[in-house]
Amino acid sequence: MESIHDAGDLIPGTLEMLILKALYRGPQHGYAVAEWIQGTSQQVLKVEEGALYPALHRMELRGLLKAKWGASENNRRAKFYELTADGHKQLQSESRRWARLSSAVAFVMQAS
Amino acid sequence: MKQWSHEFLLRLRALFSKRRLDREMADELAFHQQMLKEKLVQQGVPVRDAERVAQLRFGNDARWHERLRELWQFRWPENMRRDIGYSIRVLRKSPGFTAIAILTLALGVGANTTVFSIVNGLLLRPLPVPESDRLVILEMLRGFPDPVEGFSEPMFRALENRHDSFAEVFATFHTEAEIKGESGTERAHVELVSGDFFAGLQSPPLMGRVLTRADDRKGGDLNGFAVVIGEGFWQRWFNRSPNVIGEKLRVDNTLFTVVGVMPKRFIGEDPLQRPEIFVPLAAEPAMDGDQNLTTGGLNAWWLTIMARLQPGVTMEQANARLAAESGPILRQVNADQSWIEKREKEHFRLVAESGSTGYTYTRMVFRKPLAAVFAMCGGVLLLACLNLASLLMARGAARQRELATKLSMGATRARLVQQLLVESLLISLAGTVFGLVMAPWVGESLSAMLLAGQFETNIDTNLDLRVFAFAAAIAVVATLLVGLVPALQATSSGLNEQMKQGQHTTQAHERQRLLPRVMMAIEVGLALLLVVGAGLLTSSLIKLYRSGAGFDARGLESIAVSMDHQSLRGEALMQFYRQVGEELKRQPGVKSVSWQWVVPLAHMTWDENFYALGGREEDIHENAIAPEYFKSMHIPLLSGRDFRWDDRASSGQKVIINRTAAKLLFRDRDAVGQTINKKNEKKVIPYEVIGVVGDAKYEDVRSAAPPTIYHAMTQGDKDQAPSFNAVVRMDGSASGLAAAARSIVQKINPEIPAPKVSSMETMVDESLSAERTMALLSAFFALCALGVTAVGLYGTLAYSTARRTTEIGIRMALGAKRTQVARMVFAQNSAIALAGTSGGLACAFFGSKLLASFLYGTSVRDPWIFAGSIMILALIASAASLLPALRAARIEPMRAIRCE
Repeated sequence: MESIHDAGDLIPGTLEMLILKALYRGPQHGYAVAEWIQGTSQQVLKVEEGALYPALHRMELRGLLKAKWGASENNRRAKFYELTADGHKQLQSESRRWARLSSAVAFVMQAS
Repeated sequence: MKQWSHEFLLRLRALFSKRRLDREMADELAFHQQMLKEKLVQQGVPVRDAERVAQLRFGNDARWHERLRELWQFRWPENMRRDIGYSIRVLRKSPGFTAIAILTLALGVGANTTVFSIVNGLLLRPLPVPESDRLVILEMLRGFPDPVEGFSEPMFRALENRHDSFAEVFATFHTEAEIKGESGTERAHVELVSGDFFAGLQSPPLMGRVLTRADDRKGGDLNGFAVVIGEGFWQRWFNRSPNVIGEKLRVDNTLFTVVGVMPKRFIGEDPLQRPEIFVPLAAEPAMDGDQNLTTGGLNAWWLTIMARLQPGVTMEQANARLAAESGPILRQVNADQSWIEKREKEHFRLVAESGSTGYTYTRMVFRKPLAAVFAMCGGVLLLACLNLASLLMARGAARQRELATKLSMGATRARLVQQLLVESLLISLAGTVFGLVMAPWVGESLSAMLLAGQFETNIDTNLDLRVFAFAAAIAVVATLLVGLVPALQATSSGLNEQMKQGQHTTQAHERQRLLPRVMMAIEVGLALLLVVGAGLLTSSLIKLYRSGAGFDARGLESIAVSMDHQSLRGEALMQFYRQVGEELKRQPGVKSVSWQWVVPLAHMTWDENFYALGGREEDIHENAIAPEYFKSMHIPLLSGRDFRWDDRASSGQKVIINRTAAKLLFRDRDAVGQTINKKNEKKVIPYEVIGVVGDAKYEDVRSAAPPTIYHAMTQGDKDQAPSFNAVVRMDGSASGLAAAARSIVQKINPEIPAPKVSSMETMVDESLSAERTMALLSAFFALCALGVTAVGLYGTLAYSTARRTTEIGIRMALGAKRTQVARMVFAQNSAIALAGTSGGLACAFFGSKLLASFLYGTSVRDPWIFAGSIMILALIASAASLLPALRAARIEPMRAIRCE
């Protein structure tokens, strides 16, 4: 049985939320999503392809994302992902959950 | 829900565009790789290195595809496909086990489906008429435990016009009649139907019109009687002529006019009969002449009555109304107060029963035997399932390491159970298919066996939806029964322990091994039950044959001469019979010839009340015979003399009685010379007893010989119908008899229809057909049960012994003797057999009472049969256990220990 490569440096379960956030600004292909997360997190969060694509496909299946083939910035054929209405909703609830969780963790860690 | 359906749709699309999906995945990954490479090159990495790095990061393409593709597939069928493939490989590795498993199940399923298809055809399939669920059968409660279905004509006419609960009430009677037309003479299946028959069954004709109330009147309408013919008869007799309407047809010497043709799919109210001609009930007196049943009035109970409920009326309401009307109807049909009082004493009441499946006499006869056979079938199926389950469990134990390895590699228990269930599903599927293939063929021969001797009946045993549903249900139940327990057990916790310890952990599985043993014990018990049942039924059948008919049926032929429609009567008729008898006697192989009115074992009864002076009135069976009857039948003449052709009505009524009648009427006195009396209206008719003969069976072989009085046919009263049956004692083949009889009779008068020859030996067989079928089936089932049990006992012991090879090796190395080892292994099965037999014996002891009604001269707890069955099982169990025991004894200790 294979173990799931859920992003070496990522907190488990957050990859989907990050993908949703990355696509919030508009349709993107997989490479751009990975680059954006890496760049925005200042190279702290590394997204492995082995985790990224299964996650993208899973989300497409669940109806959070919609896929379309289009031309990339350097004019290559690429698969673009886009948030659906469900995806938007999911992003909202995920960010709220994350805000609660991170502040709670912060509280605990700051306790003396 | 929405998400689920979205996923389902996408996966469904993926299923049909696999190629495109694969290409898109490849494109997407290639794009990513390309971008990565370009980024590296931009950062100053040499092109060749960039390519290598990207390649390294991505790894194996095929693996990628596999992972993504898995996401897009339906998981369940995909797993299923794999499980099936795997199961087929596993099953093929042990072809012996697989073959036995499939065969055992095929037997169980096949037997059950076959019997069910008969039950379906006989009891369950609705009549092919509109709204058959609104049809009811009318019955009478007359003091007997079971309702009676045969009505008399006046009773029916009284019911026919009561429309408060029934829209239509109609009566039917099936008979065989002589048809004469331009194309010749033949006998055909004719159904007498009352006016509302077709209206009640709501069946339109293929052409012309159906019979109505207007046709069902004395003398018919202005054109005489109308008749409706079936499509088959139309084809055969009129060659499908479109001008058939208005054609004349002579049925039993009565002229009819064809008014309509019914389509082939119309079979009337009896699902087993296929009448070809429908005539109005009112034509019966004309057709049957002076012996007709209609004038028999309240003494002839011959009609089947069915009705269609008024819209909105329920069965309960109809029954309530019938109960209230029972009294008025009685008074309507008979003014005789004493007759009415007699009926009231019997608590006479009319009842309605559901008639959606139509009415058939056969159903009443076979309902109980079929239930018994069905129960036996169920037993065989249960046995087959138990057997397979215990075999699978034993195998599961042998496969525990394989399963433990899978569990430790991350397979969930549910997946393992599913995989094991797929294995048993495959077995039961193969078994079911095999069983279904055999079912119609076996069903046909079985129903032919059941119906042997019944006139032109057929059970439609075709596999319809209900039969398939039944077979499918059986397959599912079998799979679960067979597979679930072993699968759950094989995957139970503690597997890891076992894997670590290999096969040395005998102690640890002790508890787990109890279950297969219990199952095997139940199996042995079931097998014992089936064997005991078969033994009882077979012994009863043998006793029936041994008890015999009271006459020697072997070499005895019966020739029915139909004189009902001839004008010969009285002295001239007797002369005719005497002459035919003389001529028959001259045929090769004929030893003696006589005549009788009632053919024994043909389910015909003629009985009246007689009394000896000073004695009570007794119900005594009667027959009218010619001289030399007892000689031909091989019935011993105990005292007195036989009839002579010159015993005339004028010389005083003389009778011969059988031993039972003599004992009943005269106790210990010598009956010869005594007088028997019969009250006839106001008169008393005396009969002089001139002889006493041995007892002979009358209606059937099962019932004891009733007290019987034989009249001389030469002294016959005017009530006696003119058709007699010759009894011919043959020495050798009777093949030429039919032709000879025809030429003899038609030489005298060509108008007389060809006589029908039947062998009395066959009639005895047919009279016992239900018993024979049951005994045969039960013996077959018992044999199967024994075979299956033997395989099971052998298989489970062989598996468990194989698993103990090392242990046995150690025991032997430590000094255990070979005989001790053999005994130890053998004892394992002995315990199972002992437990199963005692359980089965207890069940048989209390359960065999259910068979009581099928047994003749056999106690339900016949000690010999019980002992014999136990012996047989003990023998089978020993034989099945001996081989593994001997094999265990031959184990080489050193090799056995090393093999782990």
